[in-house]
Amino acid sequence: MISVSELTKLYGPIVAVDRVSFEVARGEVVGFLGPNGAGKTTTIRVLTGYHPASSGTATLAGFDVAKDSLSVRKNLGYLPQEVPIYPDLRVVEYLRYRAALKGVPARERKLAVERAMDKAAIADVARKLVGNVSHGYRQRVGLADALVANPPILILDEPTSGMDPNQRLRIKQVVKDLAAEHTVLFSSHILAEVQEVSSRVLVIHRGVLRADGRPDKLVAQTGRSRLQVAVAGAPAALAAALASVRGITPGPVLPAPDGTCQTTCAVDAHTDPRPEVGRRLLQHGLPVCELRLDLPTLESWFHALTAGDIATVPSTLPTPEASR
Amino acid sequence: MNGAIVTFKKELFSYCVSPVSWLIAVLFYLMRGFELSRLVRHFADNRLDQELLPTLSYGLSSTFLMVMLVPGILTMRCFAEERRTGSIETLLTAPVRDFDVVLGKWGAAAAFYALLWLPSVVVLHVLQYGMFLDADLAFGPVFAAYLGMFLLAGFLLAFGCFASSLTDNVLLAALKTIMFCFCLLRLPNLVGGSVEVANQYYLRELLDKLDVMRNFSEWFARGLIDSSQVVFYLGGIAFFLFLCGISLQSRRIA
Repeated sequence: MISVSELTKLYGPIVAVDRVSFEVARGEVVGFLGPNGAGKTTTIRVLTGYHPASSGTATLAGFDVAKDSLSVRKNLGYLPQEVPIYPDLRVVEYLRYRAALKGVPARERKLAVERAMDKAAIADVARKLVGNVSHGYRQRVGLADALVANPPILILDEPTSGMDPNQRLRIKQVVKDLAAEHTVLFSSHILAEVQEVSSRVLVIHRGVLRADGRPDKLVAQTGRSRLQVAVAGAPAALAAALASVRGITPGPVLPAPDGTCQTTCAVDAHTDPRPEVGRRLLQHGLPVCELRLDLPTLESWFHALTAGDIATVPSTLPTPEASR
Repeated sequence: MNGAIVTFKKELFSYCVSPVSWLIAVLFYLMRGFELSRLVRHFADNRLDQELLPTLSYGLSSTFLMVMLVPGILTMRCFAEERRTGSIETLLTAPVRDFDVVLGKWGAAAAFYALLWLPSVVVLHVLQYGMFLDADLAFGPVFAAYLGMFLLAGFLLAFGCFASSLTDNVLLAALKTIMFCFCLLRLPNLVGGSVEVANQYYLRELLDKLDVMRNFSEWFARGLIDSSQVVFYLGGIAFFLFLCGISLQSRRIA
């Protein structure tokens, strides 16, 4: 449904997006991740036809964004990062206006607006002026706007920005449910949210696509678990106890003033060394104060990726077919 | 075309609920009423030919206000406000042609402008039927005068839309349009009056053609419709709406 090939966007001498390529299949929910200024919004704006690409191509629903922008927009629901809405209209009036602008037939408009308001959970503010609703509600009005014409493709730029935890939970569920009928590309800074909602993530950093794949696989592929060990005893004894355990790489042992010492070990993927470590510590007569395994998260993986600790070579990116 | 109609309705609604629009209307009606009552009294006191009254009423200061200031104020928010608030992004990513948006916005501004003028037509007829005027008001000249006024206003509003599409500063957009109105209304007269220009036949002819106020008073206000002027205004409207559309489309062009 979405196909991007060698997409580049220059702002004068600044390369905002550098030869980005990816595909999103029908019915996929794809998270689009990246730090601030990474090029997410620029890429999204090119896809929506709001900005032109400097080079490369992008097609949505089979239509070229540059050559057939109107057809692209007919198949697209878009929620921008900052939802700017006309403050002098009531929520329901705004949605009716947007439905009419998007070509929803007059006889279906009322139902389409009601359905969109239901999905975005904004029926309780339907009669309020848009300028008077809270930021979170405004974001949901924007989401309802994206949904009102029931387009096959949805592009949501930070849909949960500015929402409270309850609203966020609701929107996450809405985005999950959308997968049944729509292809969704959504950007977010909240990585746990992306991991929970999306079947696949794209990571862009400094304008370059750095990773593309299922969140769990990406984390498993590149992330390492960490084992926190604290014992009551001498640092040298702890180091000796851990030295012979397979599958872990102990870090420096740090003594604490209360007579304990602790260390953090890197753990090989797909292993749980806690039973073995516990046994070794007992063998060495070291009372265990803490033995905790921190599994890799998307957040730690993302941090490592964007900090340059993990080098994801584009050629190792899984093909769209493989990731489906 | 659906996009133009939807935009037109939404924009007209926005004009109707905007306090600025009502402020303009109140100021205009107050000024107009005051000036017209003085004019009627003047005609009555001096026993002047009352058939001239409608023609003279077009030259009142309130008319000047409507032509010089109001197009800039009405159109200043058209695109500049959308750009300032960012709503232009949702508008231009909707499945609607840029030219439809331009046409809808201009149409709404022109319709609201026409609504502002409507009571002045009613006033003329009230004066007649209320026995304040002895002479009959001929429909033809009044129609021609209002047609001329709307063509001129449409031309200025089209420029206003274009000026608004170039900036995200609402006041700057208004100022540009007001400057344009001033240049169009006053410059041909001011420049044409200079000795050097008076000696150059073609330049003088050109300035005469561009002198919209003079053309208005010599033609439309007398009930005469000059097709070349109609074409001039319609061409001007199409030209500036086209430029406005190009200005919006330029966002999509690499």
